[in-house]
Amino acid sequence: MLNEAKVIRKNYWSISPTDVYKTLKTSEQGLSEKEAQQRLKEYGYNELPRQVFSWFRVFIRQFKNPIFLILVACAVVSGFFGELKQSIAILLMIAISVVLGFFNEYKAEKIVENLRQSVSYKSLVIRDGKSYEIDSRLVVPGDINVVYVGDIIPADARIIESKDLQIDESTLTGESFSVEKSSKSLDIQHPTPQQLSNYAFMGTVVTHGSAKCIIISTGKNTELGTISKSLVRPHPETEFQKGIKSYGKMLMTLTMALAIGIFGLNAIIGHKLIDSLLFSLAVAVGLVPELMPAIVTISLSEGAGKMAKVKVIVKRLVSIEDLGNMNVLCTDKTGTLTEGKIILNDYYSLTEEKDPRILSYSLLCNKAAIGEKIIGDPIDVAIWKYAIDNCAQESVKDYSKVDDIPFNYQRRMMSTIVKKDDKLLLITKGAPESVVSRCKYAEIKGKNKPLSSVLKSINVKFNKLSQQGYRILAVAYRKIDKKTSYSVEDEKDLTFLGFLIFTDPPKRGARQAIAKLKEMGVNVKILTGDNELVARKICEDIKVPVKKVVCGSDLNQMSFTKLKKIVEETTIFARITPEQKLDIMKALKENKNVVGFLGDGVNDAPALYEADVGISVDTAVDVAKDAADIVLLDKDLLVLANGITEGRKIFGNTIKYVLMGTSSNFGNMFSAAAASIFLPFLPMLPIQILFMNLLYDIANMTLPTDNVDEEYIKKPKRWNITFVRNYTLFFGPFSSLYDFLTYGIMLFIFGASTPALAKVFQTGWFVESFWTEVLVMFVIRTRRIPFFTSRPSKWLTLLTLSCVAFGTILPFTPLGGFLGFAPLPIRYWILLILMVATYLVLVDAGKVFFYKICKF
Amino acid sequence: MTDVNLFVWWAAIISGGSIFQVLVAIYIYIKQRKRRKESKKIANNVDLLKNFIFVWILIGLLVFYIISIKIGSANLFAAGNIFVEVILIIYLMKNKLAE
Repeated sequence: MLNEAKVIRKNYWSISPTDVYKTLKTSEQGLSEKEAQQRLKEYGYNELPRQVFSWFRVFIRQFKNPIFLILVACAVVSGFFGELKQSIAILLMIAISVVLGFFNEYKAEKIVENLRQSVSYKSLVIRDGKSYEIDSRLVVPGDINVVYVGDIIPADARIIESKDLQIDESTLTGESFSVEKSSKSLDIQHPTPQQLSNYAFMGTVVTHGSAKCIIISTGKNTELGTISKSLVRPHPETEFQKGIKSYGKMLMTLTMALAIGIFGLNAIIGHKLIDSLLFSLAVAVGLVPELMPAIVTISLSEGAGKMAKVKVIVKRLVSIEDLGNMNVLCTDKTGTLTEGKIILNDYYSLTEEKDPRILSYSLLCNKAAIGEKIIGDPIDVAIWKYAIDNCAQESVKDYSKVDDIPFNYQRRMMSTIVKKDDKLLLITKGAPESVVSRCKYAEIKGKNKPLSSVLKSINVKFNKLSQQGYRILAVAYRKIDKKTSYSVEDEKDLTFLGFLIFTDPPKRGARQAIAKLKEMGVNVKILTGDNELVARKICEDIKVPVKKVVCGSDLNQMSFTKLKKIVEETTIFARITPEQKLDIMKALKENKNVVGFLGDGVNDAPALYEADVGISVDTAVDVAKDAADIVLLDKDLLVLANGITEGRKIFGNTIKYVLMGTSSNFGNMFSAAAASIFLPFLPMLPIQILFMNLLYDIANMTLPTDNVDEEYIKKPKRWNITFVRNYTLFFGPFSSLYDFLTYGIMLFIFGASTPALAKVFQTGWFVESFWTEVLVMFVIRTRRIPFFTSRPSKWLTLLTLSCVAFGTILPFTPLGGFLGFAPLPIRYWILLILMVATYLVLVDAGKVFFYKICKF
Repeated sequence: MTDVNLFVWWAAIISGGSIFQVLVAIYIYIKQRKRRKESKKIANNVDLLKNFIFVWILIGLLVFYIISIKIGSANLFAAGNIFVEVILIIYLMKNKLAE
């Protein structure tokens, strides 16, 4: 029966939970571990059929590239006009490019695939009558799954118990509003997923309430499994992606203008049409930084691999560079600035008496699952641990739970209705200001007094404890009549009983981490659900200078324009809602900040998604981990600081490639265009330009391994297209000047001005052009004195010099003959060495002038 | 094209390239200066010799290259390059070590 592929279409919606148990051969105690293992073998892992990492896909991707198409066009045009030798050479170059691209991308993808697998999602299941937290991949049909706010539903399930359950099904249906769900059976035929109000679907998120469900289908048999390919939600474009795009546009405009201009001018002057066409196409290929995607991917994947070693898992590669460029980090307090080990320190009434009911009531109004381990909200877990340590857990055995009113971030409290000796009691636990606002009385030494008479002393006590850095919850209660169901409306006329006092000490190392982030130019802001006094105390402890504190209630009345102004000067945002977190992210981004958000709660998910870099931790709720770009295996800001350094190095090396491509490379192609106008022959054959381009690409392959100067990674950087444009305009002509100089030497010193000596001219320019294009990288890669005060990586040095050596001996080899090169006189080599040396020193001198007036 | 024409073409293009570079340097300098002036970070006077030393080196180099190519002397070309390199290295050491 269970073997049918489309289990979902079994009418589980129309039968009672008892019948669902029977049909799926399970019970309220869940499956036995043995049966669960058996079913795992039978149904396989609970995972979606996703694009499996395959070498074939990486290989095919190499052909989906405009450069590839231009090169193929060059080969076809050459072949068509009888230039067979040239056509074959171009095809060979295509093959080498494809192989190079394939091996590098394959390696990069493999790293990413391994990293992806290191982030897992957990599910709470009942097996053999006990609660276990297991990897969601191990969930099987028949498992009893318990879900709370923030959980991602691990597989398709029939709800058998629920409390105020609301689920966000936007992953499945596109509906942005959460839908209400319950365990009630439905009498409908052929329902659509939207109509199944007693089903919870894989990948959807619990936004409110809680539920107990039976898993009915897993993996590819789920609704999501059948349509998973169409459900990829695109992330907002990162700052880095926007920068790359604007750079691409700038380059494409230049390339198009130059290619069309060269073709037109050459045709007008009277060069052969086919030569003109091939030459202009080759110049276009020479200009396009075709290696850019590979350089970026290699840099990012190498960086991701290094970051994994320091326990930072990158889920979305492209976010690494934004991590490096991040100048504002918004973080929650718990577990980031504090140890995250919440301990119940004490509990007492307003008169500071240790009333045992405060503890027992908070055990009853509690969502922690007690199995082999205590699992649940850290506050609830802390209460249970305290009770067990003090042998107080027995105090609740005479009570039975009737109903719950779940926690939500608007009320900041939860309630439980319990029964003892046929009497019903509603117990509420939550943020003191929320609980107290619903109280009518306060219990003082066993007697109820009107709240108004003690409100002042409650506030004084609460503020005093908060100022000492304690996290405080209030406990209240009321007698309640029997009803069919209970809701938030019942949370009124409560009697205040006392406080629960928690400690969460500042994290060791947080102070150093904050100091390091500040040194790195990252401004830390704290977004917390706690009150401002607790947040201030933590900041004081870890030496975060607090400029301004804004509370959620202040933000409610604030316009977005005002918020944009206030976010810049505020250090602590206290008592804020998830929506306000999102608004803060938007305001910071509008102010042109690169914003990171570190959070682990369900309320953090929208902000994690909106931030330029969403950062979460491995212990976070599923929905937070899912929304994050980066997952920290240790919730430690120092680890994050290492990640930022890595991101800045990657950005630095990517920018080096951009600056090289837009200066030396551009200069060379510009000189080719100019020379083709006044020379009686082509200054370089298309095949020679393409070959030089290939060699240049190979030389750049190790650029991602290069060292980045310390001063470069000190502060966050941003894409600055004006800087790139100025750099191109300033340094591009240097290369052209030395190309023109080479023309002069070839034409007027060596007399290579006739078509008969075209080969000598072309070879001379090829060698000079290649030397300058590749060697200038050692100058451009640093603002310091190349080699003396800034050393390139050994791999970069080795590969670059090997390529230069190859380019130098090429004219003397049979391959050189095949490519149309001729040996050059010794005298030329001497002049070339002197000329290139002058060029490199001149560019370095140019840097002094340029960097004095232009800042990146 | 005759050799004479070719030389004129060549000299025109290399001069054009150099002039373009000088204009770019002036353009960037003026633009950045304007921006800094707005934020009152610099004084009003421009020291043409000090601020544009790089431009003078470039123009000097251009003249030298055109003359040496016109004469067609590889030796002059080589000696000139060595001379310019020495000057540039002194300039670099002075500037970069001062940083």
